[in-house]
Amino acid sequence: MSGSSRHPARWVGVFALVFIASGLLLPFVGPVALSAARVRMHQEPDWSILVQLRLSRTLLGLLAGGALALAGALFQAVLRDALATPYTLGISAGASLGAVTSIWLGWQQVAGLPAIWVTALLGSAVVLALVVGAALQQRRLSSFSLLLSGLAANSVCSAFIIVIYGLVSASQSFSISRWLIGGLDAIDYVTLGGFVVVVAIAASIVIRQAKSWNLMAVDPAWAATRGAHVTRLTLSGYAAGSILTAVTVALTGPIGFVGLVVPHLVRTRIGADHRVLMPCAFLGGGILLAACDAVGRIVMAPSEVPAGAVMAILGGPYLVWVLRQRSIA
Amino acid sequence: MTPRLRLAGVAWEVGGRPVLSGVTFDLRGGEVAVVTGRNGAGKSTLLDIVAGLRQSTGGDVRLDERPLAAWDPRARARVIAHLPQIVRPDLPFLAGELVLMGRYPHTDRWFEGDEDRAAVERAMRRTHCWELRDRLLQTLSGGERQRVLLAACFAQEPALLLLDEPSTHLDVDQQMHCFSLLREESARGAACLAVTHDLNLALAYATRLIVLADGRVALDASIEDAIRSTGWLSLFSPRLTMTTTAAGRAWVSYS
Repeated sequence: MSGSSRHPARWVGVFALVFIASGLLLPFVGPVALSAARVRMHQEPDWSILVQLRLSRTLLGLLAGGALALAGALFQAVLRDALATPYTLGISAGASLGAVTSIWLGWQQVAGLPAIWVTALLGSAVVLALVVGAALQQRRLSSFSLLLSGLAANSVCSAFIIVIYGLVSASQSFSISRWLIGGLDAIDYVTLGGFVVVVAIAASIVIRQAKSWNLMAVDPAWAATRGAHVTRLTLSGYAAGSILTAVTVALTGPIGFVGLVVPHLVRTRIGADHRVLMPCAFLGGGILLAACDAVGRIVMAPSEVPAGAVMAILGGPYLVWVLRQRSIA
Repeated sequence: MTPRLRLAGVAWEVGGRPVLSGVTFDLRGGEVAVVTGRNGAGKSTLLDIVAGLRQSTGGDVRLDERPLAAWDPRARARVIAHLPQIVRPDLPFLAGELVLMGRYPHTDRWFEGDEDRAAVERAMRRTHCWELRDRLLQTLSGGERQRVLLAACFAQEPALLLLDEPSTHLDVDQQMHCFSLLREESARGAACLAVTHDLNLALAYATRLIVLADGRVALDASIEDAIRSTGWLSLFSPRLTMTTTAAGRAWVSYS
């Protein structure tokens, strides 16, 4: 018992080291080779490429992948369903619809914040409320009807995005389609700073309650009789998960796969204890998305493959392989 | 000694249909009370109300003289452990991790301490599942899983144990072991309220029998009284009779 329960905690350290190493090394991966000597001397253009383009983009990947994977692990615990992710619940589609709407209307800022952030958050909140409302039966949530209404929300949001796409100008339609593919771009450090703060707060609120998520992953009644405030916990879980998803989708576009594949791999390979699962999913999701982005930069240089596409191409078959391995074992 | 649990006129109805009405009884430390009755008599509903999972629609439930609804869930979980009737079989946790969850109400530490680990080991050894501690729950048989769930309740070190059909999936030997553990718990001062359909297990191990019929308490008697006057057997089936085994034990048999 003592060995088996302590051992997985070491994985958090391993993941943290790889996470930091990725942040330091991945910016050097790209179509233009950077010389370490020129970077050390702050010589151009190497210094600007590294700091302005690749470093900010790598940091965005690490945090965005982490936020999406953590949101996936969270929704899977709250709904007790391995298929629950921000993507399957329609939250990510709602955020997309919100973001596309503000591109369409040409909004730049709302209340001093980037308009895309605000409308993405609003879109995900509306979809979440509708999906939960539709799935609510006699004050009980069935995860099956929740996923079903999530699927419906996905279709409806996609349809509206197509409608908006038909209404906009050529330049707007280019920026919408570029955004909908889902990928990482260089980002200014002020925006990145705001993103770091939001993700750090939401992630620490979620991870601090890891023991409660363990209880919820068994059953809400199990959680209630082991001291959890189930309603409060469920609401805070939905809120934190939606915020993590919405701010991420606002910056990267919809990247679906990381929320499904990373928590699943950590759960089968390391364990289901959320005190370990959640930090590992966050760190692992970040590493995976940043690495996929780096691969996408060089694999077809000078053109780029978006990180979301790289992840789906590599991650899909890998997930199927892992599932097969398990069913054989 | 004041009663641990006090129910007065407890009612629960859904959609205008009464499931429980006028349920009144006290439960003290040292008692093993079996709640039984036919299907749909309201047994699980009663247990859920006492566990705080459902709010009664009428009457008064008190735990240690305080209204149950006034208890903070965490403080309540240090007093009451609840064994659910069903837990989904595909849980991703190890057996040891599930039992450890019984310690959550007792500690604020991020990882469990030596005391928690000792309580987990004690509980798992008592229900004969210590050797399953590193197994995934989804790979266990129904009976093995039931022993792990029982261990999780014992690890909670409760003063009031609520058990919804604790002997489900257990083989006969483990059924007897399970109920003898309830007697051990009562000997150290805990109160047990267990739902079961097995009348002979109840007669052999309980101190008290509560029979629900149509949402009301139809019988609330000590086991000795229940063995002496056997009219309540007709609440279950006209074919039941109370007999005495060669060893002199009361035994419900059917004709």
